[in-house]
Amino acid sequence: MAQDSVDLSCDYQFWMQKLSVWDQASTLETQQDTCVHLARFQEFLRKMYEALKEMDSNTIFERFPTIDQLLAKACWNPFILAYDESQKILIWCLCCLINKEPQNSRQSKLNSWVQGVLSHILSALRFDKEVALFTQGLGYAPIDYYPGLLKNMVLSLASELRENHLNGFNTQRRMTPEQLASLSRVCVPLITLPDVDPLVEALLVCHGHEPQEILQPEFFEAVNEAILLKKISLPMSAVVCLWLRHLPSLEKAMLHLFEKLISSESNCLRRIECFIKDSSLPQAACHPAIFRVVDEMFRCALLETDGAPEIIATIQVFTQCFLEALEKENKQLRFALKTYFPYTSPSLAMVLLQDPQDVPRGRWLQTLKHISELLREAVEDQTHGSRGGPLESWFLFIRFGGWAEMVAEQLLRSAAEPPAALLWLLAFYYSPRDGRQQRAQTMVQVKAVLGHLLAMSRSSSLSARDLQTAAGQDTDTDPRAPAEQLIRRLLLHFVLWAPGGHTIARDVVTLLAHTAEITHEIIGFLDQTLYRWDRLGIESPRSGKLARELLKELRTQV
Amino acid sequence: MESLLQHLDRFSELLAVSRTAHVRTWDPVTVRRALQWARYLRHIHRRFGRHGPIRTALERRLHNQWRQEGGFGRGPVPGLANFQALGHGDVLLSLRLLENQALGDAARHHLVQQLFPGPGVPDADEETLQESLARLARCGSAVHMLRFNGYRKNLNLQEDSLMKTQAELLLERLQEVGKAEAEGPSRFLSRLWERLPQNNFLKVIAVALLQPPLSPRPQEESEPSIHKTPGEGSQALVHWLLGNSEVFAAFCRALPAGLLTLVTSRHPALSPVYLGLLTDWGQRLHYDLQKGIWVGTESQDVPWEELHNRFQSLCQAPPPLKDKVLTALETCKAQDGDFEVPGLSIWTDLLLALRSGAFRKRQVLGLSPGLSSV
Repeated sequence: MAQDSVDLSCDYQFWMQKLSVWDQASTLETQQDTCVHLARFQEFLRKMYEALKEMDSNTIFERFPTIDQLLAKACWNPFILAYDESQKILIWCLCCLINKEPQNSRQSKLNSWVQGVLSHILSALRFDKEVALFTQGLGYAPIDYYPGLLKNMVLSLASELRENHLNGFNTQRRMTPEQLASLSRVCVPLITLPDVDPLVEALLVCHGHEPQEILQPEFFEAVNEAILLKKISLPMSAVVCLWLRHLPSLEKAMLHLFEKLISSESNCLRRIECFIKDSSLPQAACHPAIFRVVDEMFRCALLETDGAPEIIATIQVFTQCFLEALEKENKQLRFALKTYFPYTSPSLAMVLLQDPQDVPRGRWLQTLKHISELLREAVEDQTHGSRGGPLESWFLFIRFGGWAEMVAEQLLRSAAEPPAALLWLLAFYYSPRDGRQQRAQTMVQVKAVLGHLLAMSRSSSLSARDLQTAAGQDTDTDPRAPAEQLIRRLLLHFVLWAPGGHTIARDVVTLLAHTAEITHEIIGFLDQTLYRWDRLGIESPRSGKLARELLKELRTQV
Repeated sequence: MESLLQHLDRFSELLAVSRTAHVRTWDPVTVRRALQWARYLRHIHRRFGRHGPIRTALERRLHNQWRQEGGFGRGPVPGLANFQALGHGDVLLSLRLLENQALGDAARHHLVQQLFPGPGVPDADEETLQESLARLARCGSAVHMLRFNGYRKNLNLQEDSLMKTQAELLLERLQEVGKAEAEGPSRFLSRLWERLPQNNFLKVIAVALLQPPLSPRPQEESEPSIHKTPGEGSQALVHWLLGNSEVFAAFCRALPAGLLTLVTSRHPALSPVYLGLLTDWGQRLHYDLQKGIWVGTESQDVPWEELHNRFQSLCQAPPPLKDKVLTALETCKAQDGDFEVPGLSIWTDLLLALRSGAFRKRQVLGLSPGLSSV
């Protein structure tokens, strides 16, 4: 408590100084500085109120002798009054200064003074004498017409901006860059006032004809903040303009999404899908410039987490949402695919972009083989200047969860000799950085496991331990090695699909999940598989039921 | 129903008193009760705002009050100004009490506590008084900031936001006054003419006459209220202008040519009177042989340039106005003797000037120099 009080005193000095410098915020510098500090000042006001409400008027003045100056200065700064709830909190603070029963003339004067300041805050600052006389003459009070006046001013400014935007140099009422910048500054405290939305939208969408950005960065930041916190609702076109004009806002929106994904239960793809759709980023990504930035950020996240399965799953859901949004876009305004995937061969892009739902089930195997061939070609081709090599192809492939996650299933279900193309694809998916030899080895290993599993699927009695041995899962190999992850997947797929699998399912899972990390991985796998089956409509009742039960049990364990 | 109407009466009185020194006698209990009544009526407004019979009854009661107070236009309304005001009667009352110096300390302290109770659970149903007041303050700041950092006076007055707002208010009030009593609007306007700054008033009238007609909507509340039968207010204005020649003369002199042309196109009833005025002005000018121009005899006579301006503007209006104007000019020219030579009849000279002006304009615009339509 004592520490708080010391902090408050320090803050008090800081803000007192700031307010003195800002005065009525009539210059560019004072306006900019005020805008940047609005949120923090409001927080300070809240803290002050919490402190003041516990004290009576005399005590307050003993503690903060200049409190009246501080509050008055704040009240004379229109930016502060216009911001969010600051005017309310200022009023509360002022009310704390009132003496219920004034004992002397000083206290009476103080009461009068507070009343005067309250009136000032609420009197809807009058400016045009003529307008005031006219409205009074008609018998109206400010509360009657100020909302209408604000609406007219906002609409008038918005249409002026649109005129500027459309006619460029021809209009006689062209706004100068300084006027535009000033207008954007003034909007910063007003962004969460719904009456001002048309103006905010017009500022974002109408970008005039200057080569460099005119609007103030504080404006973009404030709008972005309001969008992320859902305090304003703007049409998609305005949001896209914002993110195109101000890159830090787009980055912040992505980071905001990442934070939400991390903090929430990230092992539920349905929820992830909700978050992603909610963020408006998939729709915005239909604009190639935004797509590239988003892509880059996902790429960084992947690299930093060394290809964590959760990130891959998120990217897959994002891509799916993106493709859905792209489908809804106006066909004439749609960009060519090449703009989104400039370094990919068109044939590969075409194949990958097909939704498995649109391909007959019988042809899935064929399609996967085709994908594998094209990818292998791209990966092993070093000469044609394809950017980045194998990692680039991998970034491309992992996006399309519909196909990527299908490979293991297809391998298990084909009774015949596993096609080399699919083996390659699987090995590549789990370990893109392997050299040719390493990959060949992995393919051999997988082939062997598949052989064992096939044999076991025909036997009547299965045991978890047999399965583990057959898979060659030894305890002294690194459980996080990609090959190990791959094998785990195969085992889990097998358990879900094979007729006798459900009897040994729990034992297998127990054997595999000997660390918390692996348990999370398995939860993720089960959730993703169910999500994918649901989308494609390929679930068999038995497998689905088993998967759901396992998922539920594992979730309670963690 | 009767008790509701009595409530209305009482609250209106209360509101009127809240401005006077009489509040000295108010104690905290009175303040609380007053605010409660305000809140009750606000609730009524919300519930029955769209309910025809109840709303009509309340409005009629208000109209009676105004009639008893001597009608509108005498200045700030003591009680409730209109039906919409019920929706924020609590704000009106609160502000009046706050500003009233005569309110005692105890009552004032109680008032402030009632108005600003501090952070708490927000009412899910409707906005609390605290929220309304905070929003008013925020709105006021917004208007202030936009006014000084973005607003620029629009030279097309009818598109200027300040002018438009005043015009909307005038039309709204006219409609209400019209409902209260048949001769109301004219008397109301005359009173306003006596009391308000006249230049601004004339501009507002012009803008009001140019407001777009509103499409009839299902009964809806908004601010300012949208009239259900568009044009009533405009009709009242036209009627009044036609009935007050000195006002109309001032109207035509003070306002720019372009604006008057738009107004006259929109309201054909005004065009004969406007043309009549222009004709009168024209006849007051005589030709000065030495200077070679048309001049007036007295200082307040309308100069040639202005006359020419107005006719030029009228000739650019769409028919039928344009045709009427030309016919009028031709008639005057004929009455004067139908001269073709300049310097004898002002009407001849005007027509010549208008034709050559149009010809030059067509040249400048690259149009064919064929038979001009003037």
